[in-house]
Amino acid sequence: MRLEQPGTGLFDAVVMPSDTEDAVLTKHRGMLQLITSRFVKNRLAVVGMGVLLTMILAAILAPILIGETAQVHPAIDTHITEALQGASFKHLLGTDDVGRDEFARLLYGARVSMLVGFVSMLVALSVGILLGSLAGYFGGIVDTLLMRVTDAFLAVPLYLILFVISAFFVAGGSDSIRQVILILGLFSWANTARITRGEILALREREFITAARAQGVGNARIIARHILPNAAGALLVNATLLVGGNIITESTLSFFGFGIQPPDASWGNMLASSRDYLTSAPLLVYAPGLAILVAVVSFNLMGDGLRDALDPNTTER
Amino acid sequence: MTAYLIRRLSQAILLLLVLSIAFFLLVHALPGGPQAVLFSPRMTAETRANLEHLYGLDQSLPVQYLLWFKNVLGGNFGNSFSDGQLVTTEIAGRIPPTLELFGAAMSFTLVLAVLLGVLSAVRKYSLMDYMVTVLAYFGISMPVFWFALILQEFIGVQLHLLPTSGRETCSIYGCATPFDVFVDGAQHLLMPMFVLSLLFLAGWSRYLRASMIEVLNQDYVRTARAKGLSPRTVIFRHALRNALIPFVTQVAIDVGLIFGGAVVTETVFAWPGLGRLFYDALSHRDFPILEALLLLGSASVIFLNLFADVLYSAIDPRIRYS
Repeated sequence: MRLEQPGTGLFDAVVMPSDTEDAVLTKHRGMLQLITSRFVKNRLAVVGMGVLLTMILAAILAPILIGETAQVHPAIDTHITEALQGASFKHLLGTDDVGRDEFARLLYGARVSMLVGFVSMLVALSVGILLGSLAGYFGGIVDTLLMRVTDAFLAVPLYLILFVISAFFVAGGSDSIRQVILILGLFSWANTARITRGEILALREREFITAARAQGVGNARIIARHILPNAAGALLVNATLLVGGNIITESTLSFFGFGIQPPDASWGNMLASSRDYLTSAPLLVYAPGLAILVAVVSFNLMGDGLRDALDPNTTER
Repeated sequence: MTAYLIRRLSQAILLLLVLSIAFFLLVHALPGGPQAVLFSPRMTAETRANLEHLYGLDQSLPVQYLLWFKNVLGGNFGNSFSDGQLVTTEIAGRIPPTLELFGAAMSFTLVLAVLLGVLSAVRKYSLMDYMVTVLAYFGISMPVFWFALILQEFIGVQLHLLPTSGRETCSIYGCATPFDVFVDGAQHLLMPMFVLSLLFLAGWSRYLRASMIEVLNQDYVRTARAKGLSPRTVIFRHALRNALIPFVTQVAIDVGLIFGGAVVTETVFAWPGLGRLFYDALSHRDFPILEALLLLGSASVIFLNLFADVLYSAIDPRIRYS
């Protein structure tokens, strides 16, 4: 249904108005292939995706990779006599100030940092899509009200408000991960809401929506089944960039002591505890920092690659 | 245009009003609230009551807000919890260092970003363009605090080239001539300036590159070339001037982020500006200062956004607001 409408969104250029019913059906697969082939041609984006998949796999397999057993937990067990060792076969990245294996902590830090990045993105996306859809679809007073709220969230300097809220609300213990996820998610949805609203405004008055309404389809279903799939491309790009951005924000908060609290390892709080050993054990500072940098660069490369692949106006290089 | 300005201004002021209520409620609803900071366990009930009365904390929240708001309208943000000084005095003292740091970083970034943006747009897909692209990706993705740490270690500790933190050392060791004072200040400024620049340099150079490429593809640029004008004239007189229009508005919007960027950089480098004041106020739970800085930070974002829109129509005759 959707694809028969020319010029509805991101995929305009590949759907010809003269297409017959038959051609449209084959076009759907052709479109995905086209996007995939464009993405694959962007070597940097593919490298970014490869690096990310490797990092995620390493984070998932962390217990196996570091030889964790029921008795031995290299990321948690402290060996004060082996503190601040350099790199060796036994400790690939050396040990930290209380003798924990740095490589093991880096992998466990990847688990926390990636988890925070992903789940906070999901929170932001849910809130943003919900509010953006409501504003764009219903218009009028709902729109004005919700967009003013969005403006308010965009007007507050992010780090100021995040520092204040985290400093007071993030308590010690294992709850800090959940709290940081919630805080990051609730303060990064504004752009998503704007993007969703924009897409919906562009689609709302189109014939296929009128047709759906004439058939008696409800508002919620029209938004979910007819409008949002057309906005999927823009939202996917937004989501990818959100994960990278939130990983940096989390590490910054944790570095200043307002984010993930020890004993949980995140790349940011590993840096906070190792900054005093920059001269004596530089690996402790380089490793988590590079991990953040590489992860975020990869997310950004992938996001830009997706944007170019989904944009019909991009000319072939 | 006037009607448009009045509408935008009143919207901005309304937004600030709502935010001021939100910040006030947020700070006062925080676990413990101001009482947790002001009271010590050894105080008698009478002392507590006196203190509450002194800071107006014995009133209900709406009354407290109205009293606070009335004072703010008169330019009084109350007194700091930690040393009793006027909040406005504390903030005023921190503005020059922040302006110094930002002025330096912004000028440095602007020059470099225009240079890199134009070069990589003119030599699209050349080796240099790719190098700038890769550098930009790293710049955008760099955790600022980490980059600052590495610089401090290398340039400050290992090579002894520049001081690792602070704004000056003349007040401690003494400087003989004004030139010495200048050199001392410049040495302290260089590293935080560079760290702060990185954040904007990557974004701005990419933005100008995209805008330049678009303009270079326009017909009038081809016409200028066809007339036989030198490439330099075409690029700088014809293309760059138009490419700068969207770029300038982007820069104006980014300047509004002055606060958010300042917190991290100023804290790591112990730069005595507004960002550092914010961090210190947060550590001491100094509520009046936090409220004032949150409001100031939001105001700078809101008004620079408005300024960017007005600027856009002022420098581009094709844009008219009504």
